[in-house]
Amino acid sequence: MASNIQHLTEATIGKDRVKEPSRARELWQAFCKRKMALAALIVLMVILIGCLAAPWTAPYDPYEGAVKDRLLPIGTPGHLLGTDEQGRDLLSRILYGGRLSLLSGFAPVLLAVLIGGGLGIAAGYFGRLVNMVIMRSLDIVYSFPAILLAIGISASLGPGISNVIISATVVFIPPIARIAETAVKEVRKEEYIEAAISSGASHSLVIRFHIFKNIFNRLFVYSTTQIGICLMLASGLSFLGLGVAPPTPEWGFMLNNLKQVIFIDPIVTIVPGVFIFITSLAMNLVSDALSDVLDAKG
Amino acid sequence: MLSFLGKRLLLFIPTLLGVSLIVFLMLQMVPGDPVNTIVPADATEEERMLVTKELGLDKPIAMQFIYWLGQMLQGDMGHSIVKRLPVADLLLPAVWNTVVLAAASAIFSFGLGIFIGVYSAYRPKSWIASVCNALGLAGIGMPNFWVSLILIGIFSVSLGWFPSSGMYSVGRVDLPDLLNHLILPTIAASLTSLGVMTRMVRSTIAGLLQQDFVFALKAKGARSRTILRHVLKNGMPTILTVAGLQFGYLIGGSVLVETVFAWPGIGQLIYQAIGQRDFPIVQSGVLVVAVTFVVINLIVDAMHAVLDPRVRHS
Repeated sequence: MASNIQHLTEATIGKDRVKEPSRARELWQAFCKRKMALAALIVLMVILIGCLAAPWTAPYDPYEGAVKDRLLPIGTPGHLLGTDEQGRDLLSRILYGGRLSLLSGFAPVLLAVLIGGGLGIAAGYFGRLVNMVIMRSLDIVYSFPAILLAIGISASLGPGISNVIISATVVFIPPIARIAETAVKEVRKEEYIEAAISSGASHSLVIRFHIFKNIFNRLFVYSTTQIGICLMLASGLSFLGLGVAPPTPEWGFMLNNLKQVIFIDPIVTIVPGVFIFITSLAMNLVSDALSDVLDAKG
Repeated sequence: MLSFLGKRLLLFIPTLLGVSLIVFLMLQMVPGDPVNTIVPADATEEERMLVTKELGLDKPIAMQFIYWLGQMLQGDMGHSIVKRLPVADLLLPAVWNTVVLAAASAIFSFGLGIFIGVYSAYRPKSWIASVCNALGLAGIGMPNFWVSLILIGIFSVSLGWFPSSGMYSVGRVDLPDLLNHLILPTIAASLTSLGVMTRMVRSTIAGLLQQDFVFALKAKGARSRTILRHVLKNGMPTILTVAGLQFGYLIGGSVLVETVFAWPGIGQLIYQAIGQRDFPIVQSGVLVVAVTFVVINLIVDAMHAVLDPRVRHS
């Protein structure tokens, strides 16, 4: 009898499973239908891999320049994107600099999701006093213009890329917490939560299995919209000299250096800015598509 | 109406307290002993103690905060460490200059944003609608300090049409000269607002154009100008609210633009103070902008309640 059932299971249910495409595959196919978003994703991947593999992809040493090669224009043979004010190859500096720039674009959002997401879930799940304390405190951080708060914290902590990441994280915690809180409040009303609690599930179990899985898409999509903004904010802080110290390459700080020779070469600042722009634009296009595909509006 | 405003005002006080607490804590995060920046390196331990006591640094941190807050409320923002002047004397003219730039950017981005937004809501297939889309994307993705650099490169250095820095030419303080200096920073500062405004106006107006009252007006044979007036009147509360918030961002967010154009506003003052580690200026500057931002938000809320009865009754 037992072997009979097993036989049945394999023959019918097993076969069905092969036919049905997985959810991830479905989502990927839906994403690929959006040509703009797919192109943006490819651009993003090229930039990301190019920067991470900078020791192999960069044609020159990013720290060494030749005085006779200063400020070569874009498209000079041997220097695809030209050279900077010290004769260093711009493409190499972009690739090496992208590591810190991208890090300071992604890391604060990731940290803010962990901290802000946690606070938002706690506020939304427990409600009442916990909610009031958490959300009202975060509202105060909200009442600063983002860039100014980041500048203030960065300036107090002193220059350094880790301080840029800390101050940007503080800026992104309140909006992410707010999204998480709103999402949790909606899920919290569902009957299956009540059922889980009355059947004796602990809070941590309910949060991990029911709440988190249900708000994950919204939280994820919203955080991807913040990465482009964070990249611009962090490069802005670096531009003010609050990030890396010379001669370390970083996109925002490269603009600061190139600013000084703008009267010799008026469009010298175009290259690092275009990379910041393209990266954040591509990120926005990808997150637009993600919000459609996952059907999760931020 | 009054109870709505009363509630908002009641929230306003703890917000201001919280904001000043955060700004106060910022200064506490500065590494190193603040006494070191004041006393000479060879000062004796007694002299150091005296300065510590004078500054109130021997008191508990909560007392220090209350004392500092009291001073701020009396308009005493301390002295600049580097410039040896009262901070308030340095801040006030800078705030005014920042407001001038923010107001110019607001007029530019709201005017153009509402025009492009309304037009592209009416004609979604026109080239202006494409401009609207492009502005929305570019405005959100382009760092304004980079746009400033590109504008200077093209219009100041290459073409020589506009000055690249400052608010007035040497020896001139008149309106045409001010406007000449204003054009480039205004464009750079308003790009983000322009992107946000065009997108928001378009979606608001496009949504309203689908509503029954528009069809009723059309069926009655109302002229398109009359319809536009009705649609705008309905969309105004939303548009004005977003515009008000954007004005706040323009004041706070133009730090980088001011730095590039050497605009003598609060952003540039803060930037210079960071370089010189002149923290009383950084602290008071951030506080003044944050308080302005909170006040603007309050005004926006009140305005929204006046214009839209649904808000004040909810």
